[in-house]
Amino acid sequence: MRKRVLSIMVMGLILVPFLFSAVSAKTLRIGSMSPLTGPYASDGTDIKNGVRTAIEVFEEAGGIPGYDKIEFFPQDTACDPRQAVAAANKLINLKVVGVVGAYCSSSTIPSSEVLDEESIPMITPASTHQDVTDRGLPYMFRMCGRDDDQAPAAAKFMKEALKAKTIFIVDDKTTYSQGLADGVAKACKALGIKILGHDHVNQGDKDFSAVLTMAKQKKADIFYMSLQGYSPAAMMTLQAKRLGMKSQIVTQDACFQPKYMDVAKEAAEGVYLTYGFTDPSTPEYKAFEKRYVPKYGKIAAYATYAYDSATALLKAIKAAGSTDPAKIKAELMKLDYQGVAKHVKFKPNGDSGSSYIAFKIANGKFVPYWEPEKGLIK
Amino acid sequence: MEYFIQQLINGLTLGGMYALIALGYTMVYGVIQLINFAHGEFFAAGGYVGAITLSYFAGVGYMESHPVICLTASFTLAMAYCAYLAIGVEKIAYKPLRKESRLAALLSALGMSIFLSNGMMLTEGVYDKVYPSELFQGRFDFGLITISYLQIMIVSLTACLLVGLNILVFRTKIGMAMRATAQDKTMSALVAIGSNKIISLTFAIGAGLAAAAGIMYGLYYGSVRYDMGFIPGIKAFAAAVLGGIGNITGAMLGGLIIGMVEIFGAGYISGEYKDVFAFIILIAVLYFKPTGIMGENIDDTRV
Repeated sequence: MRKRVLSIMVMGLILVPFLFSAVSAKTLRIGSMSPLTGPYASDGTDIKNGVRTAIEVFEEAGGIPGYDKIEFFPQDTACDPRQAVAAANKLINLKVVGVVGAYCSSSTIPSSEVLDEESIPMITPASTHQDVTDRGLPYMFRMCGRDDDQAPAAAKFMKEALKAKTIFIVDDKTTYSQGLADGVAKACKALGIKILGHDHVNQGDKDFSAVLTMAKQKKADIFYMSLQGYSPAAMMTLQAKRLGMKSQIVTQDACFQPKYMDVAKEAAEGVYLTYGFTDPSTPEYKAFEKRYVPKYGKIAAYATYAYDSATALLKAIKAAGSTDPAKIKAELMKLDYQGVAKHVKFKPNGDSGSSYIAFKIANGKFVPYWEPEKGLIK
Repeated sequence: MEYFIQQLINGLTLGGMYALIALGYTMVYGVIQLINFAHGEFFAAGGYVGAITLSYFAGVGYMESHPVICLTASFTLAMAYCAYLAIGVEKIAYKPLRKESRLAALLSALGMSIFLSNGMMLTEGVYDKVYPSELFQGRFDFGLITISYLQIMIVSLTACLLVGLNILVFRTKIGMAMRATAQDKTMSALVAIGSNKIISLTFAIGAGLAAAAGIMYGLYYGSVRYDMGFIPGIKAFAAAVLGGIGNITGAMLGGLIIGMVEIFGAGYISGEYKDVFAFIILIAVLYFKPTGIMGENIDDTRV
């Protein structure tokens, strides 16, 4: 009997610190969802790093009143819809207040449905497919641009700046890549660019020689490549150059990643791509660069957008003064400030506007080359 | 016509690499009747060793002055490393299970595959590892047909390795011992052939060939990644089955057929279905000839 009393007392003593900590330290939980393993791991890691930087900066600036700490829970989606839904459920169980993610549109769409049931705000830094916000989910926001803005911009660029008459399109059949490729095909048709072929490859393919040989034989002015992630795109660029393809290669926002040049090397020179315009001369961008680059290396694709998404979310939570989703949403809609990647202001549907311009790869750098209104950038 | 020839060259390059990997599956099956699912990982490991050594040579500047020596050194190192890796894997994962049911060894092979691929992920990272690009940059242009130096190198090296293996298995004493072990382990032990040694050797040769394929793959596609062994591994396994598992000539033929069918399927119909065509051919052949193209009766000569 005495033994039992003693053991209960010991158990109680062990539990005390936990109870105590649960009461005293109030933490705010933020989640992120992006592919941390698999072919798109580097883009996903950039998103994670961007969110982490945003939380650090925000905490240093005073954090959120009433909370001691902001806890960050990065989840791996592996760009797999099923794993993304599992990650969303895990974040719900962790009782996060908001989520930044996901990367692949095919992950964002199903996981946002799960988060929306629990009224958890989700801001995607990278999913550009139109259906992300077009489904009318009240808690779905988007920091990056839309593919139905990107596709016409790309087509206009090819018509006006490159004087293209014919095009050959290749995609790898994901929600994002195929959606964008179809959009480009439609926009090209409208502008009178003749489509000589539109072929598909599979995700995970490494050998593109057959498709490239076909594209080479068609002798189109433009070879438009819409693949999910920079890695297959870099391999395709490399193989296209080796095969002696003469067509001008044009690609999309997934290739805005310094690692694209690491893999494709000289073959990447002269490739054009469309990507949202970011002004690198703003003080916000410079401050971010100073903080991010020494720790994580070159700023790539969606790190800036992830930073802005997380900052917007934290700003809204702070302004709302509570974790009530409706209040956070109301505050998110009120935001109007200069972020790192762009000016942050959400529209009623959750979008924040697109500003696609064309970049040219020259000397291993992305150089702004053309914009839809003014034409060539000097 | 030019289009056809170009695709033929593409198919030959890809098929050659499949053939090299397929040989490992078929040789191991021939000797101990095990499908070594960890074989694709030897291929990936070879690719990594190549990436590390070649980047080192490029970094210190030897690559420009002595490209042939660097390449030979890389191939030798990768093949030797993977051969030892395979011997180790065999000792740890398959030898203790040799007397158990075949299913146990098969599961052990699957586990080993996951273990090795995750090991590579943890030690080398999730990112692509890039090959130095200075090698074999040039190409020949004959009208519309383009043959890169790299393709010539890969095809000729593959041919050399295949011929070398054939000589080893069918013309030397070691080859004879391997074939004897494949036919009857007890009987070959009675005539003083150490079956353990022969099994280790079979694993080592198979993994060495896979490592060579791994480097070629890295050179050809520009980069390697920890999970690169999976899909080529499956294709090569299909090639081994197509050719008749256990038969060396069959594996070479199977690899070439799978590579060609993939390329021609993608080139003439659509890139979307290239994997489908490869497996349709496999099913069609197995339907009419269940032992594969060169497959013999189960108890006949193997390896």
